Amino acid sequence: MLSRIWAHFEEGFIALLLVAMTLLVFFEVVLRFGFDTGLLWIEELTLHVSGWLVLFGASYGVKVHAHIGVDAVVRLLSAGTRRIVGLVAVALSLLYCGLFLAGGWVYIEKLIKIGIEMEDLPVPKWLAHSVIVIGFALLGLRLLELLWRIVKGQASGFELPDEARKVLDEADRDGLTGDRQP
Amino acid sequence: MTTAVLFLLLFGCMIIGIPVAISLGLSSIVTILLFSDDSLASIALKMFENVSEHYTLLAIPFFILSSAFLSTGGVARRIIRFATDVVGHIRGGLAMASVLACMLFAAVSGSSPATVAAIGSICIAGMVQSGYPKQMAAGVICNAGTLGILIPPSIVMLVYAAATEVSAARMFMAGFIPGIMIGVFLMIAIYILARVKGLPAQPWSGFREVWSAGLAALGGLMLIVIVLGSIYGGIASPTEAAAVSAVYAYLVAVFGYRDIGPLKREPWRKGDEPMAAAAVRNIGAMLLALPRSLADPDVRHVIMDAAKVSIMLLFIIANAMIFAHVLTTERIPHAIAETIVAWGLPAWGFLIIVNLLLLAAGNFMEPSAILLIMAPILFPIAVQLGIDPIHLGIIMVVNMEIGMLTPPVGLNLFVAAGITGESLLWATRAALPWLMILLLSLIIITYVPQVSLFLPELIDRLRGFS
Repeated sequence: MLSRIWAHFEEGFIALLLVAMTLLVFFEVVLRFGFDTGLLWIEELTLHVSGWLVLFGASYGVKVHAHIGVDAVVRLLSAGTRRIVGLVAVALSLLYCGLFLAGGWVYIEKLIKIGIEMEDLPVPKWLAHSVIVIGFALLGLRLLELLWRIVKGQASGFELPDEARKVLDEADRDGLTGDRQP
Repeated sequence: MTTAVLFLLLFGCMIIGIPVAISLGLSSIVTILLFSDDSLASIALKMFENVSEHYTLLAIPFFILSSAFLSTGGVARRIIRFATDVVGHIRGGLAMASVLACMLFAAVSGSSPATVAAIGSICIAGMVQSGYPKQMAAGVICNAGTLGILIPPSIVMLVYAAATEVSAARMFMAGFIPGIMIGVFLMIAIYILARVKGLPAQPWSGFREVWSAGLAALGGLMLIVIVLGSIYGGIASPTEAAAVSAVYAYLVAVFGYRDIGPLKREPWRKGDEPMAAAAVRNIGAMLLALPRSLADPDVRHVIMDAAKVSIMLLFIIANAMIFAHVLTTERIPHAIAETIVAWGLPAWGFLIIVNLLLLAAGNFMEPSAILLIMAPILFPIAVQLGIDPIHLGIIMVVNMEIGMLTPPVGLNLFVAAGITGESLLWATRAALPWLMILLLSLIIITYVPQVSLFLPELIDRLRGFS
């Protein structure tokens, strides 16, 4: 139940960030061409929204298998070896996550201590930058979940995306399958 | 030593299946901790800056969003109808039309595999019905589909621009002539083959039909005009043009074409409904459709899809920038460049090595990932040898195109095999003869820099920069 609510929130928030970014820049263009004016804070806001989209979304990318990689070698391994290699891969990714989390934490702590605001927006800087901790914490949780699934034998590794499969499914959704067979 | 550790870690991580983004970040951060004095906090800050201080990078999610709205089957059908009307009456016309359709659809959708899937699903069956060999049909579409990353607007070019800090607008201009050149080469080869093999021509459908098909396809094709017009005209930056095109793509897909979204089953005119009634009904439905899009499953699907791809790409870019930072602080590309210059390797020899290296890498990795790893290394070397950065970028992009057609990772081959129901080997064989044309074009583009540089330099002159 809780995970369903979280999944809805996560998708909604990511969609909101992407749409907000697009509309902000669009709005800026309209202001410039339609009214020959501009707003100073739009660029800073847009850029921070983009930062939130990427760092908040990185863990979502693990969940929906969006992160690309090379699996030509891993696929050649036997199922048992593959699981062990998968465990090592996820463990190393956790190390990556931990290093950034530690660095991010120190950085945000310093920002809170200094207590400065953003350049054009009346928002404390640590709040705007806090996604670096939030994002990597979420990524860490997702990786731990993946690690647990490999231990239990439900997954064998990152399960990198198969883009060919994806575009074919997409073509099917569009109802192009009927055209396919002569 | 540092170089060895960095690259061993990177390739080690990637081989065991760690995603490219994390591989880049992990190898960089470990190298920094081992060999430099930078603190973890400063690297974390750098990561945040990478995703929140590059305005030009925002063009990437915007273009992904706009192409997600317009890479639907409905848009593909309209473009194919237009292309068939224009060149179908020439001998071998259906195959030429599919090349033209691939070029147009690829420019709108920006994705090669998506182009092969959408155009291929419709065109291959059509060509086989008209008496073309199936293998030829699939081969032509596999190759023409790769033009998506060369004809602007192209996401791969934006990635190159991000990695090397060259102007994305100039990259877009530079890709234009090479893209059309390869398309024309493919069509000439088809014409010769059609003459030899006696392949059929379609009846000429008349100017009225060309006009009405052109009008129907215009909704999608206007996107190219908007983007290129505003960038080349110097009115808007690529980022702004991309945001406008994303909004435009939403409006066309949901309100104009109505292939997706809340108006999907709402025709512009029902039977012989009076014009006035149709106008009132349409205006009402469209006003309602704006809020209804928020909850619409199709629109949501498109947005989430675009978000997924954007996050994936931007996260790789953010990590690649840390990787590039390590490369520069350790002066690795400069060391390689000095060695190469000391060998006395001429620019043309370096370009051969670049081509071979990229063709090999293209067999295993995605275009954007290769560009992000290789561009920061190759770029300083090329500059030292007097090669134009824009020219290098176009060479890299054409190499990436060829990489999509060579196993084991050739994405277009997988898609072609999928839509025809044949094996990967069959698709590889089908694409091979046409791949020779791409290789020939690569040689021309590599050794005749003017093919790429003519247009950007011309526009610079027109604007009076030089």
